[in-house]
Amino acid sequence: MQKFSLNRRLVIIIVCVIVSFALMTVSVTMRNKKSTPPLIQQFGNDIVGLVDRVVAIPTNGLSGSVSSVSELLNTYQENQQLKKQVSELAQTKVRDQTLAKENKQLKKEMQLNASLTDYTAVSAAVITRTPSSWQSQVVINKGAAAGVKKNMPVMSGSGLIGRVAEVNKTNSKVELITDNNDSSNRFAVQITTKSGKTVNGVLSGYKATTGQITMDNITTKAKLAKGDKVVTSGLGGVTPKGLYVGTVAKATGSDYGLATKLYITPATDLSALNIVTVAVSKQ
Amino acid sequence: MYRLSKLRFGFPVFLFLALFLDGSISQVFSVQMFRYPTAMVSHLVVLWLVCGVLFEADDGTFDMPLGRWAAVAGAVFDLYYTGIFGIAVFIFPLVVYLTRRLASWIRPNFLSGLLIYFIDITVVEGLGYLASRAMRLNTGAGSAFLVNTLGPTLAFNLAMFVILYFPIRWVYNWLK
Repeated sequence: MQKFSLNRRLVIIIVCVIVSFALMTVSVTMRNKKSTPPLIQQFGNDIVGLVDRVVAIPTNGLSGSVSSVSELLNTYQENQQLKKQVSELAQTKVRDQTLAKENKQLKKEMQLNASLTDYTAVSAAVITRTPSSWQSQVVINKGAAAGVKKNMPVMSGSGLIGRVAEVNKTNSKVELITDNNDSSNRFAVQITTKSGKTVNGVLSGYKATTGQITMDNITTKAKLAKGDKVVTSGLGGVTPKGLYVGTVAKATGSDYGLATKLYITPATDLSALNIVTVAVSKQ
Repeated sequence: MYRLSKLRFGFPVFLFLALFLDGSISQVFSVQMFRYPTAMVSHLVVLWLVCGVLFEADDGTFDMPLGRWAAVAGAVFDLYYTGIFGIAVFIFPLVVYLTRRLASWIRPNFLSGLLIYFIDITVVEGLGYLASRAMRLNTGAGSAFLVNTLGPTLAFNLAMFVILYFPIRWVYNWLK
């Protein structure tokens, strides 16, 4: 009897392990292949997301009020600094508007409807973060209903922070650049060097020890310098052109010495996210 | 007994509250919890389940369907938080089972509960790490996992156990 129950337990454990691996494999495959999760999962996630807001909104509000009190303490200094910046920005903004208008007119003349730089920004609030150490992932409160689609880039502050990994009707999951899995941070980017040359490449990973994004296998003779700006190139997919990623921090030889490897300082703090913007491209 | 008590409705309410608080705590304190080199993962939902087992053993007459609720919480965790089904949905019931076995060997009180919770968190994090390694969700080395994730996570969750043990016991007694 004892032996039988031991055997049965072993069988149960093995069956559980097999079923678990099967389920994981299926869901990882579906996540990679399909643009939306199965309808039941979507529906469940929507309901859970709605219920979660009951908990998330008060806690996020609480943390917001605490941080606003602490921010109040250095408001005066900040205000002085920002005033200077604002006067500079006004100039840039006016110029930007004029250029945008001109751009529109020129496009109209050329009968070009939407180019790689065109996108609409959908802003969303972060509801919650995945409590897991290897999945740097947040859930935002906009989904397919607001036009969000899988793989769209997500920004916060001034820079790129990640991409949409899963879309439900009213919420979606955003995989951050800091996530080190195989597909989270492969963005096509380009760098314009000081001499005016454009270098294209793909982001290849995130180095947690220094908090820098890496970009590997660059085969160019152009001289890349510290401080060169990295923006998305809009090639190959739903990412629009011209989203700011960060600045070049260091350029070294890659692991095999043939190509160049870049370290990029991200434009925004990737760990403190409250409001994010999804770039919904028009194409 | 279980059918007639407030626990029948109160237990799942607090279970989901703990589940959502995990995510909210991770979001609000993300700077402190997830900045390199530490990664502290909040497991309040595991705390609620483990405390359920510990206080269920307090008086022997009280049997709760903890395993089933653990599976439900695990399923919601997998679908809503990670998007990869099949990890927590098995680990959470396993933790309940493990805690029940351990509680039958050592009489649960505050200190032995702390010990049991230590083992539970190690199991949750360790199996989670193995599963995510197998699925290539992370590429970190085992030593990095021990130092950067398991250590801080244990510290955080044991602190939560110490802080919340008596409040949770009060809640369970109130619900019974």
